[in-house]
Amino acid sequence: MKKILTSPENLKADIRQFYNETQHHFIVMNAVEMGEQMEIQWFFCDYAHPAEMTCFYMQIPPGTLIPTITGVVSSAWVAEAELSDLMNVDIENTEKGFVLEPDSEAGPLRKKK
Amino acid sequence: MSKQYEIPVGAQHISLLEPLHFKFTTENEKIISTAANVYYVHRGIEQACCSKFKFRQVSFVVGRVCGLCSISHTTAYSQVAEKLLNLEIPRRAKYLRMLVIELDRIHSHLLCLIHVSENAGFEALFMKTMQYREFSMELLEAICGNRIQYDFSIVGGVARDLKLPVAHEVVGRLKRFKPELDELMDIFMHNWTLSLKNKGSGKITRETAMRLNVVGPFARAAGLAIDVRNETEDLLPWKEVGFEMITGEDGDVHARNIVRLKEIYVSINIIENIINGLPESELVTETKAFPDGEAVVRLEAPRGELFYYAKGNKTQVLERLKIKAPTFSNIAGMVEGFTGNEYGSVPAIIASYDPCLSCTAR
Amino acid sequence: MNKTNGMKTFLKALGNLVKKPVTVKYPFEQTYIPDDYRGLIEFDESLCIWCRRCEMVCPPGAIVFSQDMEGKHTYHYNRAVCIYCTECVRTCPKEGAIYQTAQPASCALKAENINNGWNALFEEALKSRAAYAAEKKRLAAEKAQAAKKDSALTIKQQGKCTNSP
Repeated sequence: MKKILTSPENLKADIRQFYNETQHHFIVMNAVEMGEQMEIQWFFCDYAHPAEMTCFYMQIPPGTLIPTITGVVSSAWVAEAELSDLMNVDIENTEKGFVLEPDSEAGPLRKKK
Repeated sequence: MSKQYEIPVGAQHISLLEPLHFKFTTENEKIISTAANVYYVHRGIEQACCSKFKFRQVSFVVGRVCGLCSISHTTAYSQVAEKLLNLEIPRRAKYLRMLVIELDRIHSHLLCLIHVSENAGFEALFMKTMQYREFSMELLEAICGNRIQYDFSIVGGVARDLKLPVAHEVVGRLKRFKPELDELMDIFMHNWTLSLKNKGSGKITRETAMRLNVVGPFARAAGLAIDVRNETEDLLPWKEVGFEMITGEDGDVHARNIVRLKEIYVSINIIENIINGLPESELVTETKAFPDGEAVVRLEAPRGELFYYAKGNKTQVLERLKIKAPTFSNIAGMVEGFTGNEYGSVPAIIASYDPCLSCTAR
Repeated sequence: MNKTNGMKTFLKALGNLVKKPVTVKYPFEQTYIPDDYRGLIEFDESLCIWCRRCEMVCPPGAIVFSQDMEGKHTYHYNRAVCIYCTECVRTCPKEGAIYQTAQPASCALKAENINNGWNALFEEALKSRAAYAAEKKRLAAEKAQAAKKDSALTIKQQGKCTNSP
């Protein structure tokens, strides 16, 4: 798996440069807590044989606004909505409440301190 | 402009088998747009796997994510854990895993066809397919010792061996099933009443499938050749046992049915090849190591690509486990597939997507 | 649909009237159970070496050992919590101490209080083991104290011996 470091400012440009609809498909977004920082990951895979996976990642402090990639990958809204609810990350143009009920605990998959 | 109506379907509805909610905006029976809500059964399994259970126990926990593709989940988790442990599993264990995955695919695909025929209003076909499906459940019970929760894959290999009388039984029952499958193929292909509901409804083009990153039989029916079994062979040797890619063209409910039925033929072929050439070796590789680093695994579940991400920290408990179920990828495509159809064909379309919501919400 | 096909369907429908049903009348007839069905877990006390590995690996926590003040273990097992994964049998270092039978478990009844009762029993068992461990520790500490006193006494006595001319 290829891992490419990116940042909130460069994310959209990086993905736009990389992503080609006929070659790659977007798998899912993921967040991992690493102490103070949080690593956000975007997984892509190509249609070829053998398929190679690419992961864009960035390390940010919790609470940073993450840009949306739905302008490039139109199906990414599902993954963004899930992540913003379950991990309590703020994503541009994504409202909380798609995954969980409005009265449920914020970010149930976050580590309990 | 004619008057628009909003019709909700779900989360409790007679034609839904899973807690799923769609809100259709219709104009004279014709669907214009759809909104979906799929999360009614969030159980926090990922969190439980990273806090309550040790990494060897997690393979039994993730089996409970879904009842239909439990073996795909346990196998994908076992593979990702083996990657974290740098473990090479015995050859026989690999083949046995493939055997159970393919048997599971047969029963899952038949179940989807059952739902399609039932939701299209064809009760007799529903009963007939249900009757034909029973053999696969009994074979799975004979191999794994359990009818639904197989608990077959464990970290390092498989839990049980395939005994010779059971192997003979599998081959014999598959032989008897083939004419029954031919009969089903004939009905699904040529039955006039069924084609009224199925042909041309729930249509999705290859371009849309590509744009929305659709996976599984849903994408293959639209002509998009995406199958993890075709793409990776480092973990399970699919090509060696005779995997063939099946694709359709039309991308409607009928095409999905045919793709599923044809895939059952491929699965039968794979199972026969595995049993004829099953290598002799140990079943489990033992290790005392703890998981470290991060790893990802993709596996073709009956509904499409299953994705596991795991991160270890050299302790018994994992740092993070992420599960991406096939239906999760298909939500965007599912919403798109309704547009332009009549409201009356919605139940059959939903069933043909084969949604698995407990996988998606976890 | 042509005439012969219609006739065929009619004959088939007639045949179905006298065919046996494909379903099993369950409570009166036994359903299919394979030879190595994953059934109840049995325990053989005479072979057990009390290493508690089965308890440690059990995913749902269906096995627990309690301990009395003499250090004697008692095995507890809950068939309704068990998921029949056979992990306990696989990990057991002493073959035959814990094994799986092909006997399906009977239904859990309300009177058995199988969930809350089991949780209470589980807690109790852990407490009993902690109490035994604490008692053992206390005894060991007492023993060490006594030994220390003894040795101090002997040193003192020895010192007395050497000091006195």
